[in-house]
Amino acid sequence: MITMDIEAIIYNPILRGIFGLCIMGGVFGGACVAVWFERKLSADIQQRYGPMRVGPHGLLQLAADAIKLFTKEDIIPRNADRLLFVSAPILLMGSVFLMLVAMPFGAIIINGQSYVIAATEMDISVLYIEAMSAISIIGIFMVAYSANNKFSVLGAFRNFARMIGYEVPLGICVVSVAIMAGSLNIVNIAEAQSPLWFVIMQPLGAIVFFIALMADMGRLPFDQNESEEELIAGWMTEYTSMRFGYCFFAEYIHLILGSMLVVLLFFGGWNLPAFLTNITILGIILPTAFFLLKVALVMLGIIAIRWAVPRYRIDQVVDLSWKKLLPLALLNLGWVIALGLLGVY
Amino acid sequence: MSGIIDISNIANSYIPVAIILIVALVMPPMTMLIIKLLSPRSKASAKYTTYEAGSLPIGNARIQFNVEYYLYAIAFVLFDIEVLFLYPWATIFKGHGIDFIATVEMLVFIFVVLFGYVYLIKKEALKWMK
Repeated sequence: MITMDIEAIIYNPILRGIFGLCIMGGVFGGACVAVWFERKLSADIQQRYGPMRVGPHGLLQLAADAIKLFTKEDIIPRNADRLLFVSAPILLMGSVFLMLVAMPFGAIIINGQSYVIAATEMDISVLYIEAMSAISIIGIFMVAYSANNKFSVLGAFRNFARMIGYEVPLGICVVSVAIMAGSLNIVNIAEAQSPLWFVIMQPLGAIVFFIALMADMGRLPFDQNESEEELIAGWMTEYTSMRFGYCFFAEYIHLILGSMLVVLLFFGGWNLPAFLTNITILGIILPTAFFLLKVALVMLGIIAIRWAVPRYRIDQVVDLSWKKLLPLALLNLGWVIALGLLGVY
Repeated sequence: MSGIIDISNIANSYIPVAIILIVALVMPPMTMLIIKLLSPRSKASAKYTTYEAGSLPIGNARIQFNVEYYLYAIAFVLFDIEVLFLYPWATIFKGHGIDFIATVEMLVFIFVVLFGYVYLIKKEALKWMK
């Protein structure tokens, strides 16, 4: 009886929605930490201190920044399209939040039964996450086009050319992973990597996916939409106060969720050897901790790459996606099909 | 489940999505209201001009753009739909006893699309600024 009640509570959709709101809050906190982490790491790489004054090692810097963003005047330029200008941040936030709903944040394993920490589980969650992530391109274009600013429009057009180029190899890599796991459910995909991570089974796919994802998230060397040295702030030049804050946060939440996607699809998710997770206490803590550690490592890599590789020109970017990554992704798909026909997985 | 779509179950997995969607729609306008109360305001005409590195903006920013971008967009529509067709096939590739036939069919499909890709390359449609 009691187990039945627990199941009913866990699978109650309304409660899960509320749990999703908690996750949302957690991810906001995580984004704050990610911003701090990026500033500190960038400073370390450039041999300076970074934020030091506010709180120990600048930990409270983000709170100070938030207060600043909340007390800045909100300016809508005279030439801007007001409706689009006001609604674009809603679309951007909607994109990352809806991505986050289907994203598993680890698992709790009790007596060999694993309970996934996610707001919802669906049959097609990978496809859903990709679709929601693709919405952000419309949001970015709305921001720039409504602002009627030349820098913004330039940034948005570059962003558009880049993102549509990298959607295709990204999608093909996800299909290759789905073939191996035999499912589009991201939980099943993560659990299918129990003995062998997919990065070992299809290394080429992992590399293509990682590059395409970096471009999709707009991280340097693929931040042509922002390129602050030439386009001021690119697509969000005209945004002030918390409107800017939302665009900024959407980018960082996208960074976190993208890193999680890399870990879930290629680096084994929360899987651990069974002898560890059979011990109750370890089963509750370890899988999630291990998963988040891997996510942090991927994020560290993405941030470090920012300071190692200069920004590409837009023609180099589209050439990389259409002429190199797309054939490589198809090659990887062929490799996965061949492995499947040979009965390797 | 076993292949049969349970409608109540599907509704269950999308109710949390609806809840988050409502919050995501309401949150930015609410924050902007709070900011209206908190932030100082001062009216000055120059403040509401479009930023253009200090000078007054010349002309409209919404101009006609290079046609290259549209060529890439068309190519994207073609290839992204190709990828969409791969998704349902990916889930039934193994364990349904149709491995070989499904593979051959999909390879024919990919070959046709690749033919289009080679055509695009030959026509230099995927070349930036000819």
